This record gives sequence, structure tokens and C-alpha cells, in this order.
Amino acid sequence: MSDKSILASWTSRRSFLQGGAGLAAVGSLGLSFASPAIAKETTWTLANSLRSLANPYHATFAKGGAEFAKSIDATYVTLVTEGNSEKGISDIKALLQRTGGKLILNVDPNDSPDARVIVDEVQKSGGYVVTQWNKPNDLHPWDHNPNYVAHMSFDGVPAAKALAKELFKAFGGEGGVVAIGGILSNVPAIERKAGLDQAIAESAGKVTLLDFQPADWNGQKAFDVTQAWLTRFGGKIKGVFAANDDMGLGALEALRQASLAGKVPVVGLDGIAGAVKAVEAGEFAATVAWDPLWTGGMGLAIPYAAATGKIDIAKEPKEHREFYGTSIMVTKDSAAAFKSGGSKLNFSDLWGKDTGQIQYRG
Amino acid sequence: MLRRLGCLRPAASFLLVGTETALSRALVKTIPLQSRWRDLAPVAVLVALCILITAFSPNFLSISNFIGLLNSSAIPMVLCMGATFIILMGSIDLSVEGIVAVSAVLVSLLVENDTTSYSIGLLAVPVAILVGGAMGFLNGFLHVKLKTPSFMTTLGVGFAGIGIATTVLGGFTARISDQSVRFLSLGRVLGLPVAAWIACGAVLLSLLVQERTRLGRWLYAIGADEITAGYAGIPIEKTRILIFTVAGLFYGLAGVMSVAQFGQGHALIAQGRLFTTVTAVVVGGTALSGGVGSVLNSVIGVFIVTILANGMILMGVPPYVQQGVQGLLIIVAVTLALDRTRLDVVK
Repeated sequence: MSDKSILASWTSRRSFLQGGAGLAAVGSLGLSFASPAIAKETTWTLANSLRSLANPYHATFAKGGAEFAKSIDATYVTLVTEGNSEKGISDIKALLQRTGGKLILNVDPNDSPDARVIVDEVQKSGGYVVTQWNKPNDLHPWDHNPNYVAHMSFDGVPAAKALAKELFKAFGGEGGVVAIGGILSNVPAIERKAGLDQAIAESAGKVTLLDFQPADWNGQKAFDVTQAWLTRFGGKIKGVFAANDDMGLGALEALRQASLAGKVPVVGLDGIAGAVKAVEAGEFAATVAWDPLWTGGMGLAIPYAAATGKIDIAKEPKEHREFYGTSIMVTKDSAAAFKSGGSKLNFSDLWGKDTGQIQYRG
Repeated sequence: MLRRLGCLRPAASFLLVGTETALSRALVKTIPLQSRWRDLAPVAVLVALCILITAFSPNFLSISNFIGLLNSSAIPMVLCMGATFIILMGSIDLSVEGIVAVSAVLVSLLVENDTTSYSIGLLAVPVAILVGGAMGFLNGFLHVKLKTPSFMTTLGVGFAGIGIATTVLGGFTARISDQSVRFLSLGRVLGLPVAAWIACGAVLLSLLVQERTRLGRWLYAIGADEITAGYAGIPIEKTRILIFTVAGLFYGLAGVMSVAQFGQGHALIAQGRLFTTVTAVVVGGTALSGGVGSVLNSVIGVFIVTILANGMILMGVPPYVQQGVQGLLIIVAVTLALDRTRLDVVK
């Protein structure tokens, strides 16, 4: 049987050595990133856990973590869940084991229930954790002192509302809009839709929602949906609201096919580079940036300050434990400033971008 | 295995199957009525769908919607040409999204873009297609030589592809400013989008391979019964590797078209394409068990899938209902097109 011969070749000494050489090569690649400049942090290991490095938001998130780790010369690891809760949790457990609990973790849990398991594991082994975006509503940092340091999020409702108003302004405040949503059950998708609905309600009948379709955060689906809308509504579409930039860019390309790019304004959320460029080109009216560089860096800086005794986290007020970060509205006027200033991080100003305690709605 | 033993037939009959197309078979009077209906079922579904949508939304028949539909179908069409051959052979290819991603990222980095300083223009197109072909070859080579199921081999190569694309761009997006590449999607020739012409060329090429080459006949024979095909002296391993390579070439082309359409390349550019591709092939009437179907069936399949998605938005079907309708239609189409006489065991 050929199966047997494959097995045999796998276990042969030569292939084992080849595998070892490969691993060594990968290892040396990792080492080349370390740069001894500042007083070396040897006790704590830092880690960001996120969904995938294949999307710009999380890639920038990881970069923020790496920048903070560099500033204190600590070991930094990025864990990737690939959208799999079990993988996310077991990777964290393995890292806790390896570091003997001396772990500072900044995690964007794959799904809300994961946060509870992760917090329990970190507390058991004496590490420090900050969660982002997703957690059960009844799980609070102050119930798990001092190990559960904080939960950070961004308020999608006011951001989407302000963004929608920016869109209405771009087409003169009167007419029909179409809206593309994210995965229907996702919290950010629900919040962003709610913000849009509020803005439409406040227009007192001047702006109408022609149609709403979910495109599951996917630019390709948004392209097809927009193309069908152009047939169905034609010139009635005055603006396109997309719940994220990727879908907004998909819609923009469908408009371009119909020679409408720049004529029918589009808005999106997340502040990815392509959307900022489209804002500069006048094809997007605006985008909202969540500042993932800050999230990725400060999500480690705050627990590091708690772990090393710089702050007594148990004594911090609730608005320092569960808080919204600052979203940035990027319009044509502010795009240049956003691009140049967006990358400066001040790691000693722990709550500088805190915009208030998280609200739980319905 | 049971199925294969159950339908051992003289090898000569398989060589005949290879020369038939869905349409020509439908015209042959000696074939029983039931079989003729089966061949025409996908066409009937398509026509019924068009009538239904037009009744609710006369806009459907407008020229602008027609052009929009051609645009939406172009990339799935090219992908389906590759996938049909593989499914006809009785295998499956799950590496679609990975190969498209590698090809797309490569094109976006080789033409004028905001990430690298390369700018080789349309020369990037054959490079990307060949890289797609190389990954397809890898699929076939690993599948045949290691005797791993095509399901797992292609899944693995697909993941590796997404991984390579992610690593190369570090999760970011390369935006292209090369207008000659964008012309492949935005340009119009004789009033029709260039992408539609490319898809048309891909269909004609596949039809040529299927109808006029030995490769086309062999893949039907392998799909219908690999063991007998082997006895008949058909070089099975070579054919399999070649077909996977051809499919890879088509995916590479689809990668180029994706970049032309979106003006950017990133690792997740083909997200969701695999499902559409396999659905279109199966809805068109090509059997997953192999040996039955044609690239023409897949053309119909692609139109059914894209027109359905387009039509539901035109008719204003609530988003919650859309997926349900899509699922239902897949089952109806497969039920109508299935050849039950060849099924001994249903898995």
C-alpha cells in the first residue's frame, strides 16, 4: 500500500532532519525582529489574540501590540483564532502554561461567551487580560480584580448616525439611500443599522431608505447587491450607506461600472486605507476609523501598568474599566490630517481616548 | 466502491458518452423521454426564473440589467469552467478561493500599485494565469501521487494559497492604478463589458477541450468509471493532473479579473466564490458523482445562480427569506437534473 510508504518516509530520519532545519529557519526569522535598545522586560510576555491577520483592521491591531512591546523591549506574540473559538481559547491556555501565568493578554474574543472562559483561565494562572468588542453583558472587569483589567469597545450607534448625516449632507439632504449591512446577528452590524435608522428618523421624511440588504461584511456580495439596486432604483439612489468599508468599496466599484463613482456618494466604517483614499478622491463622503493601532497597543499598556504596579486597577473608576474608545470621522477635509497623525501612540496616557463608560442597550 | 462495481460496463460506451453534449443528446430521438427532460431541466428552471422575475419587475429585461448580469456572471463563469472538468471527473476542487487569492495578489503587486514599485502592465496577466496553473498542477500531482482524496488535497492547497496571499500582503490591500488592467473589467467592446468577452472566450475554449480533444473524452470516461477506463488504456494519472492544471489556469484568470473588477488585490478577494462555483456546476446538471454533465450545463447553472440573486433584490424579497429561497432552488434544480438510473448507492 502506498499509504504505508508515505508513513515510512515521514518517520525517516532524513525527513525528520529536514523538518528540523525548516523549523530552525522559521525560528531565526522570528529572532531577527528583536532589537535590544531599552531596559529589557523579562518577566512578562505580551500577546494579542485576534481573528485573522488577513484583514487590515486586525493586521493594524497586531502592529499596535508589537509597537508597545518594542517600547518596553518585551517578548510579543500574536495569536490568531481564524474565526474558531476553540482554537482561540486553547492557544491562550497553551501560552499561559508556557509563560507560567506571566502573561499580559489583549484579546478580541471570537464570540462573546469566549470572554468568560478566557478571563477565568487568565485569573486562575495570575495573568492580566483586557477584552475588546465582545463579552457577555454580565461579565465585568470589577468582578474579577485585579486580573481582568478592562473591556474596551467602540459605540457603533452614534458613529453610524454621525456617518449617515455626513452622507446625507453630501447629496444635499434630500432623497433615497440604500444600505448594506453586516452579518445580521453581529452586534456591530445591529448597532450600525440602528445609527442609520436614527439619522433617517431625524431627517423628518426628507431621506428615505429605499432598501436594506445584508452582504455579510463581504465586498464581493456588496458589489452584486449594488448592481441589482442600480437596475431596481436607478437614479433614485442618492447615496449608499455600507456598514463597513470593504462593502462600501465593493459598492463603489459597482457604481464605477455604471459611471456613477464620485456622483453617488458612499460611506463606510472601519477607516481602512482604501476607503481613506476613496474619501480623498471624493468617491466616499466619509469613513469612521476605530484606531486599531491604539486598541492593539493600549490593550497591552493598561494591563502592563496594572501588572507592574504603576496603577492599582481595583481603585480605578468604572469608566476606566469598561469604556468606549474614540472613533474618528474621516472626511475629505480631515483625511490628510488623519493619515499623518493616526500613527502616533502615547503609551503613558492610558485613558486619553476613553469616551465614557459602556452602555448596555435592550 | 459498491457504486463502481454496480455499473461496470464495456469501456466502449464511455468513449461514446464523451462525444455527447447536453444539447445534442436532447435532440437524439432514441433516448427515452425521461432523459431528454433531464437534460433540459436546467434550461427550464432558468426560463421559469426569468419569467417569474419579469412578472414582478419589468426592469429585469432592461439592457442595463442585462449588462449588469453579464458583469456579475463573468468571474463565476470562468471559475465554473475549471470546476466543471474536475467534477465531471468525479473529483472536487476546494482550492478555488486560495488559488484566486494568490493570482489576484500577484497581479495587484506586479502592475502599477501603491505597495510595490513594479509596473509590468498586462504582462502580469499571463504570469498570474501560469501561477494559477502551477497551483492546479500541485493539486493534481499531490492528489494522484500521494493518493490523497481530492477533497482534502485541494482544501489543503486552498488554505496554503490564502496563507501565501496573507503573508505576502501582511493582511493589507494593494490598490492598483494600472488602467490597462482595469480595462479588463471597466472597458466595453461592442457595447458589452470586456469581462463578459473574456468569460465567453473561456466557455468556447472549454467547449473545444470537452468536445474536440482526447482529454475531454478521457475525463468523461474516468468520471463514469475509473477502473474500466484504466482497463481501456486511458492514462488516468496524467489526465487527472492535466485537468487539475487546466482548472488552475482558469482560477488564475479569474484572479486577474477580480483585481480588474475591484481595483485591488487582497487575500480574501475570493471569499464566498467556492460555494457559488460548486452550486452553479451542480444546479446546471453536472453530477457530483462524475461522468454526467457538460460545460454548457455550467453556463446555464451560472446564469441561474446570478439571475436568482439579482432577481430577489429586484423583486424586493426580504433578506431573511433570500437564503431560504436559494436553498430551495438548489434542491429543486438538482432533483430535476439527477439521473437516478445510474445511482445504486446515494451517499
